Amino acid sequence: MSNVLDIKGLKVDFVIKGKKISSPIRGIDLSINAGETHGIVGETGCGKSLTALAIMGMLPANAVRTGSISLGATGDLTSSNIRQIRGNSISMIFQNPHSAFNPVFTIEQQLLYVAKAKGFSSEESHALFPERLKQVGLVEIQRILKSYPHELSGGMLQRCMIAMALLSRPKLLIADEPTTALDATIGGQVLALLKRLQREQGFAMLFISHDVTAVSRVSERIAVLYAGKIVEDGATADVLGDPQHPYTKGLLGAIPSRNKARGTLAAIPGTVPSNTLGLIGCAFKSRCQLAVPHCDEEPILSSHGHTSVACWEVSK
Amino acid sequence: MTKPVLEIINVSKEFVNERNKSEVTYAVQGVSFTISPGEVFGLVGESGSGKTTIARCAFGITPATSGQIKIFGEDISSLSSAQRKKSRKRLGFVFQDPVASLNPRMSIFEVISEGLIGSPLSKNEIRSRVEYLIEKVGLTKEHLTRRRHELSGGQCQRVAIARALASEPELILLDEPTSSLDLSVQAQILNLLEDLRKELNLSYLIISHNLEVIAHISDRMAVMSQGVVVEAGTTAQIMTNPQHEFTKTLIGAYETSSKSDLPEGFDWENWQSAPTNRWAYQHVSEFITTQNISPAKTPTPLNAKMSHDPRLDQEEELLESLYTDALLVMNRGVLVDERYYGDMKPQSVHLLQSVSKSLLGVLYGTLIEKNVIDPSRTVENYLPEMLSSGYATATVQNLLDMTAAVDFSEDYDDPNSEISQLDRASGWRISSSANDLGIRKFLTTVKQNGVHGEQFQYCSANTDLLAWIVESVLGKSYSEILSEFIWQPVGASQSANVTVDHAGHALANGGISTTGRDLALFGQEILDTYLGKSSRLVSHAWAKSTFGGADPAIKSVDYLQAMHPGGSYHNQWWVTKSSHQEIYAVGIYGQYIWIDPTTETVIVKFSTLPSALSAKYSAEHIALFRKISNLFS
Repeated sequence: MSNVLDIKGLKVDFVIKGKKISSPIRGIDLSINAGETHGIVGETGCGKSLTALAIMGMLPANAVRTGSISLGATGDLTSSNIRQIRGNSISMIFQNPHSAFNPVFTIEQQLLYVAKAKGFSSEESHALFPERLKQVGLVEIQRILKSYPHELSGGMLQRCMIAMALLSRPKLLIADEPTTALDATIGGQVLALLKRLQREQGFAMLFISHDVTAVSRVSERIAVLYAGKIVEDGATADVLGDPQHPYTKGLLGAIPSRNKARGTLAAIPGTVPSNTLGLIGCAFKSRCQLAVPHCDEEPILSSHGHTSVACWEVSK
Repeated sequence: MTKPVLEIINVSKEFVNERNKSEVTYAVQGVSFTISPGEVFGLVGESGSGKTTIARCAFGITPATSGQIKIFGEDISSLSSAQRKKSRKRLGFVFQDPVASLNPRMSIFEVISEGLIGSPLSKNEIRSRVEYLIEKVGLTKEHLTRRRHELSGGQCQRVAIARALASEPELILLDEPTSSLDLSVQAQILNLLEDLRKELNLSYLIISHNLEVIAHISDRMAVMSQGVVVEAGTTAQIMTNPQHEFTKTLIGAYETSSKSDLPEGFDWENWQSAPTNRWAYQHVSEFITTQNISPAKTPTPLNAKMSHDPRLDQEEELLESLYTDALLVMNRGVLVDERYYGDMKPQSVHLLQSVSKSLLGVLYGTLIEKNVIDPSRTVENYLPEMLSSGYATATVQNLLDMTAAVDFSEDYDDPNSEISQLDRASGWRISSSANDLGIRKFLTTVKQNGVHGEQFQYCSANTDLLAWIVESVLGKSYSEILSEFIWQPVGASQSANVTVDHAGHALANGGISTTGRDLALFGQEILDTYLGKSSRLVSHAWAKSTFGGADPAIKSVDYLQAMHPGGSYHNQWWVTKSSHQEIYAVGIYGQYIWIDPTTETVIVKFSTLPSALSAKYSAEHIALFRKISNLFS
């Protein structure tokens, strides 16, 4: 199967007055097959959302990106071609549906604005919207079109955002924490909706979340991100069922569950390093029980068993 | 027994809009629970369910509108303000956002020692108490000189816990204590809370929207929804055996599964075959988008008594071996036998597969008789979109009798056959690429391969094309049309549904699911029409023509002649032309409506056979139906 997205050696540094002040993404390789969902899990500050923004070409002005991001036949994404691709071949949905919409325009006005940018005439747009909103499971379409964002619930707005993102039938949909701001039951509905739309339309999805449960429900593959690097990558069942990297193990052990006996959770001591600049070797070593002197050397993501792992001790 | 630390008895809280006194919000209604010493009580619910409001009332932050609140055995409404102040020392608070709950201008030492203001402790005693507390929560003395911006979120929450512990409370309110923390930090904080509780014999009232957190930490819990407690009990009880629908939904939302909520082994390419079809045929709407076909407002009474005819009991073994999900037998308008297998129930809907086509056949009968549709007109006459397709010059009647000459393979096992492509276009299988063909676009790609109207060729796409024609003529969706012209007039008692593609167009050739009873009612109506007893859907003339079979000039095919010599396919029904003059509807994997006008019998059978088509299974079914009909002759 062909890859929709290929990321090779992606690095993002923040630079102020010519001086590198942090490097939140330190070399990511990731490929997504057509029609497949690749999940990214990780904690705050590990570079999940920056990865998404790097793909979309929406990094802040003081960020410097190196490495390549290529989209199927289109080839490398660069600052000169990203405007044609963004919103057409690649679309994105965001965490907070209330802040993703402009509060002073109706849903219809905002959909029209997007549709116009994608080359739909106003007539085509008006014919298209009811069908597309129906597809995302909305009813009372006319009322919704005439509503302002504050008049709709979070779940309804998230559905509108999904419809908006899929207007141009993208090849790749990036979903950045699409359920985090929603209640659990509504979040579950949105996940089911994304899965159905994906089946019907065949787009690939990059699903980013700190919520392992949500990611596991939609993704065929999962990459675990830690301090700007992928520490483990593999099929969902393998990564969750037989994790290799000590961080993945720790993260899964930290999830409270009714299936585990009450008592001590397997918490990982310490916190995620806030700045990886000047970090030598494995970023996880200070929190790792397996740490050995070898860890002062940067581990390489290499295949071990079913998954790929970046850990000297595990893959030795 | 020890006195509870907190008793909430029938507490309600209303908020009145000050500008418009008649506008009242009932935030919490009639909530009761108690917390014993050393116990953790969890409140779980979604945003706006009233969790925080009831906790604020319980801790005396907000006065309740009605009900009784006892803290350490004393009714808080009866306490003087001095007593209340004193009892408040025995309470601690930890809130959701650890960063916002700490004053940015105070050092951590000042933040924690603020809880000791007014205590009889000396300055030195306060210092040593604060140092004790900061170490208790897993930080060090060095942190005391810092301010909140110099700490991480998890560290801030530890400070907030230390502050709550300062006055040596017995009961602590934890309002979403880990909601703004990362997973690994959340685990650290939950562990800390559990250690502190054991060591200091604390009681907690913990509020969270996260069921996993509540389930992990609490002894007993209550589930809140829209201001009321919908379920309360021990955590183990609720988590393993939830009673209320909302609790079940909530727990379901946390179920880890690698895909959507499909059973294990579900495969998009093979769900139509065994063994998945047993589950799938009764749950199509759970994995394919469907539209409802609304039932009648006043259903036709069906004298259903779940009766079993003893003569049919002898066929049990055969029915099992024919993978039966349901069998219904109507004789002279009475439901004489009705049996269900596996998970199938009288209320369950079951996929009809190509029995769906026969519903369309009757719909066309109706519309032709109402002069809405002319069977002799061609496809291009109705659908300009089809001008360049192989169907353009076929007539509506050609489609109804399956005599359009098109390049279409019905090979269900070949993933590249046209029927498999149609499955993909309609959302029944995973599309292989990002192209979203849809049913209609697929239909425009079908090619002609001979002269229309000369030879019978069973082709499922014909039915979908007919559905497109009625949708375009009537300007309504197929599900609405079926409801209006078939399901309501026949008096169906339950909604049926039909699968639709991404654009909302129905898969008329096989996507309908109905209950056995409603389908039996439909079959009975066709029989009654033929017998001249009813004409709610179509006229006697239509029934006579349908039972009479197609024009003999149409070339038939071997397999049809082998099964039914002289038989044919007419108006989307199979016509046997046997001595009993039966007609029937059949769908792959064993779906049937069998109508025998001679014995006045209608048989409905739902099955999930292991193979789509098999001469052996077909012959066994027909023999069984004839045997059953003859019981009533």
